[in-house]
Amino acid sequence: MHRRIAITGLGVVGPAGLGAAPLAAAVREGRSAVVAITHFDASRYSSRIAGQAPEFDPAQGLRKDQVRYVRKTVKVMALDIQMALAAANQAVLDTGLPIGDANESVLPTIDHTRMGIVFGSSFIPTELEDLVEPARASFVDGRFSLKGWGSHGFPHMFPLWLLKYLPNMHACHTGIVWDCQGPSNSLTTSDAGGLLSLDEAVRILRRGTADLMLAGGAESRMNPVLQLRYSLLDRLSTANDDPAGACRPFDLGRTGQVTGEGAAVVALEALESAQARGARIYGEVLGSGTSTHASGINTCDPDGRGVAGAVRRALKDAGLKPEDLGAVVAHGTALEMHDKSESRGLATALGAAAPAIPVTGIKGVTGNMGPASGLAELAAALLFLKDGQVPPILNCTRPDPEPRLAFVSGGPRPLAKDIFLVTTNAIGGQTAAVIVKLYR
Amino acid sequence: MRKRVVITGMGCVTPLGLSVEETWKNLLAGKSGIRPIAIFEASTFPTTFASQVADFDVSKFTRQPETWLKAGRNVRFAMAAGRMAMEDAGLAGGGYDPDEFGIYIGSGEGILDFISLCECTLNGAGPDGKVNASGFVELGITRYDPITELEQEPNMPANHLAAEYGLRGPVFSNLTACAASTQAIGEAVDLIRTGRADLMLSGGTHSMIHPLGVTGFNLLTAISTGPKDEPWRASRPFDAERGGFVLGEGSTLMVLEELEHAKRRGVKIWAELIGFGTTADAYRMTDIHPEGRGPVAAMRMALEDAGVRPQDVHYISAHGTGTTENDRVETLSVKKLFGEWAYKVPISSVKSTLGHLIAAAGATELMTCVLAIRDQILPPTMNLDHPDPECDLDYVPNRARRAKVEVCLSNSFGFGGQNDALVVRRYVP
Repeated sequence: MHRRIAITGLGVVGPAGLGAAPLAAAVREGRSAVVAITHFDASRYSSRIAGQAPEFDPAQGLRKDQVRYVRKTVKVMALDIQMALAAANQAVLDTGLPIGDANESVLPTIDHTRMGIVFGSSFIPTELEDLVEPARASFVDGRFSLKGWGSHGFPHMFPLWLLKYLPNMHACHTGIVWDCQGPSNSLTTSDAGGLLSLDEAVRILRRGTADLMLAGGAESRMNPVLQLRYSLLDRLSTANDDPAGACRPFDLGRTGQVTGEGAAVVALEALESAQARGARIYGEVLGSGTSTHASGINTCDPDGRGVAGAVRRALKDAGLKPEDLGAVVAHGTALEMHDKSESRGLATALGAAAPAIPVTGIKGVTGNMGPASGLAELAAALLFLKDGQVPPILNCTRPDPEPRLAFVSGGPRPLAKDIFLVTTNAIGGQTAAVIVKLYR
Repeated sequence: MRKRVVITGMGCVTPLGLSVEETWKNLLAGKSGIRPIAIFEASTFPTTFASQVADFDVSKFTRQPETWLKAGRNVRFAMAAGRMAMEDAGLAGGGYDPDEFGIYIGSGEGILDFISLCECTLNGAGPDGKVNASGFVELGITRYDPITELEQEPNMPANHLAAEYGLRGPVFSNLTACAASTQAIGEAVDLIRTGRADLMLSGGTHSMIHPLGVTGFNLLTAISTGPKDEPWRASRPFDAERGGFVLGEGSTLMVLEELEHAKRRGVKIWAELIGFGTTADAYRMTDIHPEGRGPVAAMRMALEDAGVRPQDVHYISAHGTGTTENDRVETLSVKKLFGEWAYKVPISSVKSTLGHLIAAAGATELMTCVLAIRDQILPPTMNLDHPDPECDLDYVPNRARRAKVEVCLSNSFGFGGQNDALVVRRYVP
């Protein structure tokens, strides 16, 4: 018998605002947060729209010594890392665990050696400003040269430059702020990172190595380098004239992905101890499963086998059948190849039960938040499903009839059972599925 | 009774050789992979040398070499190491259930076109040092290739391997700096123990021998800058005259297999993975906790998981980077956990000749533990001429040594505070 795992804290930084509640509200109300890009001059990009995160303070709500650390260190944190930290802070504060006085450990009621982190992150491209001075100094005979960089450019670099971008610094800084001395891992599995992190965090809790785990995902794709990369890969929507209607998951009129950014973190602990301390419990993780597209790095399985595998494993892990599911919150990025693979995989795994299980998704609201996706969706769903309704997929007005899934379109559908499935998958890469029981 | 996990295949590409046996032979002979950097023009950098893979051609290891033309060295190394590991395990031709076969790789970035990045940046840079994205993209669109861009993402080695072998089990890639592949293997063991897969292809692959990699470490003054004329002397773990680590590159991948599955296949078993420990320092970005809090806890967790006592350990493969801080804290940590036995258990650092393979380091070092068990011989810490007085353990200085080796502990500690340890034992039915 597995140790049972409860979700007791939620944190989200994303286009719909700060916290899981604003995201859940935006989904319920069908309000898109996709806008014309303002964070950089996108006028020469083919895709000029995005879900941009608002201003936020990565030290908000923290104790004085934590605030001091964040203020001192923030210059060594790329935006991804700051968002991750902010979402982690929200999630920990949301657990209701008592915060210690200045002379105590920060969470005096827990064993800090048994608190850990698994984060889904990405290799963060350097901020271009960091290169300007050094690159200018690297000219030899009117040309940029590596010889010039080594002798003259180099000394103009920010000395801690490397640390600002390492994909394990999300977990590192979060771990320092919250004194997490248990396991700390950083998964670089693109869109699947968040749910893979949850899968691993749950296994760590089950094997008894930790009692409290943060599972997270974070990425900002809102920068000139990644916007160019995903444009070149032909993944992005160019429906620039209609930002709010641009991201159309599972819709026949889909136009591609819309760039998003953000972070999402859930706090996980043993159900028994969460109940013993009288914690608010959002839900219970019943099972998770992972697999992969084995199709090549820039495509998805056309038949959705990778997604189907993850869903089947999650059902097996949870000891459930498809008909036990009350809803699916799908990845649905609105790129045709990506959506088709996912929906075919869902249809295969859900089988005869599929027509009765409403499928929703939130990227019409947020765009694609990369590794933050799966957990942002999970966090939002724990709130928006509470009133017993499965909200529609924003902009999915003409649901793709193939394969036949119960995409929620037009208005909400009743949630028949309090158990739901969340899926993510990375193009050319990892797939993940998580099954959660909603606590109301 | 929990499932047992054994190693049934190993493959590697390292600066000391393009196979397991060649790497091992050169390692025992004390040969060094450290040479002047040939991969890019580094002559004016503070550090001009690295431990490099030489004479490597991915087309010798794969049927469709054109698939990897735009891939980084990390991917190419991994394709070769993966092929060798699969062949070694008798799986290269299939004969496995793809749904029960996963991947867990500690892997770094592909290689970015640094000169184009700088030139595109300057194309958008104004007099105030701000970069206008329009200027960047105007040149970028003519310079950048979509697949080359995609290949930079660190999950590419795992994704290529999954596609190459049609693997459908759990596929993870992680990047916890220098601890990544030890952690990857440890978590892969957990995936097998929990029944998520029967087989895992696991290990690491990385090359940071590129302009931004060397720049980044030079800025942190973490890597050695000399002697430039005798670079093979630059990596000096536990030596008083050390000057930081030396960057290396390469890949080691292993086939990990559930014991009963391996027995049914009737394959050779290299060794059994019996323990894994993983913790974080939660102290500072790059400094290790001065009391070795995290490393001690990780080693203790690994030994407890393995069900062995400190005095059962015959050899420790040190993280041993050759930075003063690492060497001293690691030494202190071993003393704290092992007590008197610390002075009796040999500990060595293969980074003295291999260099630091970063995300591939831990897997490569675990491989040397497996070979030490097979051959009853310990690889040396080279360049240990004037031991640091604070480092007073038996580091197997300068010469390989015959020894009884049944149980080994392999340590990896990473920037960012991750500490990981694995315990490997001779397979006993």
